[in-house]
Amino acid sequence: MRAVSINIDDSVLVRQSQGGDTTAMERLILKYQNRIFNLILKMCGNPDDAAELTQETFVKVIESIDKFKGRSSFYTWLFRIAVNLTLNYCQRHARIATRSLDADETEQDGAAESLLRDFLSDDRAADPATVAQSRELCDLAMESLLKLEEPQRAVVALRDIEGMNYNEIADVLNIEVGTVRSRLSRARSILREILESMVNEGESKHR
Amino acid sequence: MKANPNIDELLNSFLDGELPVRQQTEVQRLAARDPQVGRRLRELQSCKTLIGALPRAEAPGEMLEQIKLCLERRTLLDEPSVSSRSTAGAWNLMARRLVAAAAMIALLGVLGVVVYQIVTPVPGTGVNRPVAGTSESPTGIGPGGTIPAMVADSGFSGRLEIRTASFPNTSDFITRAVEDNGLSGSVGSEVTGNSRIFRVASTREGVNRLLASLGEIWQTFDAATLHVDRPGQHTIAVTVEAVTPEQAARIVAHGSTQASVDAARSYAQTNAMRRNMPAGDILDMIHDDTSSARDLTNIDDIVRRAGPPEKTLAAPQGRIDTTLTIILLRSR
Repeated sequence: MRAVSINIDDSVLVRQSQGGDTTAMERLILKYQNRIFNLILKMCGNPDDAAELTQETFVKVIESIDKFKGRSSFYTWLFRIAVNLTLNYCQRHARIATRSLDADETEQDGAAESLLRDFLSDDRAADPATVAQSRELCDLAMESLLKLEEPQRAVVALRDIEGMNYNEIADVLNIEVGTVRSRLSRARSILREILESMVNEGESKHR
Repeated sequence: MKANPNIDELLNSFLDGELPVRQQTEVQRLAARDPQVGRRLRELQSCKTLIGALPRAEAPGEMLEQIKLCLERRTLLDEPSVSSRSTAGAWNLMARRLVAAAAMIALLGVLGVVVYQIVTPVPGTGVNRPVAGTSESPTGIGPGGTIPAMVADSGFSGRLEIRTASFPNTSDFITRAVEDNGLSGSVGSEVTGNSRIFRVASTREGVNRLLASLGEIWQTFDAATLHVDRPGQHTIAVTVEAVTPEQAARIVAHGSTQASVDAARSYAQTNAMRRNMPAGDILDMIHDDTSSARDLTNIDDIVRRAGPPEKTLAAPQGRIDTTLTIILLRSR
């Protein structure tokens, strides 16, 4: 017998959860746990902390599900909780994150920077498969992301990792769409500068 | 190309599909016509691609269980919120009830121990508790009001560490107190650098008189810690931080070493709770021994019940079964 996957709308599961149906809440958790964990990990850079913050996010969701009135979608409400918790965490642990990042930098042997230079200087459309296949490139991408300021990191993560549109990001971060547009643009510009400086530093270090 | 915020915003919006169709066409045309704009578009595109291509991480497998555990742990610390009753409550209602019951039992236990310590007559005074073998004197108070040397136990042994900023004055005070209480023959002392050690081997009554004297200057101590040895051994069984003179006297005055250890243990818990609770309100209401005046009254009471103060400088009568090493330390 083939297992049948029933795709129930979030709003139905939320209503059931509000009525005390723990199975419905479990389904919501299972549905979103990977996306929430992935987003938080990209924002904080530490898997243990990401796991803890993911837990904290869902605990908060469970505790306040009755307060959820459905003015926004459950999806954006959930991500708002996750992002707020993570931003608070990042602000508290900024010094630690920077220190661990510095430690990682010393371990680079120049090969990664070389890959990055090739990737950035390729005039053709950048190929996502190239990044996905290279662990070193991923590490540098992650490192550059963590060097952004938290609000910029959040907007980049929500757009480029979670794939939200500007309206959804504005809803999650509780800011204007225009602010999303300018913040994201500024973030990508800084990201580009960070990546270029990584290439330059790598080359001068191993010359 | 030097980054132009307005053009960057337009290009990023284009990359994210956030422009109306007409503007999209314009950007495409601009990028094709102007090599600098085209180049900048590719630069921003590569950033977007790089971050977007990062591998997707999956949540740890036990996430759901961890969330449930986290909720249960939270009930140990917090009151349940109204909003969480219907959903979270279904998962941990039983846990909350168990925790509440356990907390009540623990609180009653602590209160019981504290009340017991307050109402139990001090052993050795024998007001209500006959001592085995004291058929002629069921109250346990012998002729002259002194404690008869009838205790079969090896007696209290411990160490009182005192830290003070006024080291010389305290040292002189203790030396005088030793003499005034007729303990000169029972005390050995040595001085090392920033400390002075008084080894007192006397009766409980004698040691308690010394403690009563110390109670007069107890408030000047920066810290007072009593280490109580295990029965018959010289290893520490219990450490009572921030011990008060009354507590020290009660611990020393107990009829058996084990009882002293038990009393010390309850005082250690009480003092730890007092430090950890806001202002120690509950415990202070039950057992207000923080006031030095009250301490002195109680100490005097303990000593009075143990035997009349010796004003004659004579050594206390009875069995020498109590060893208290007073270590006086200079505060940094």
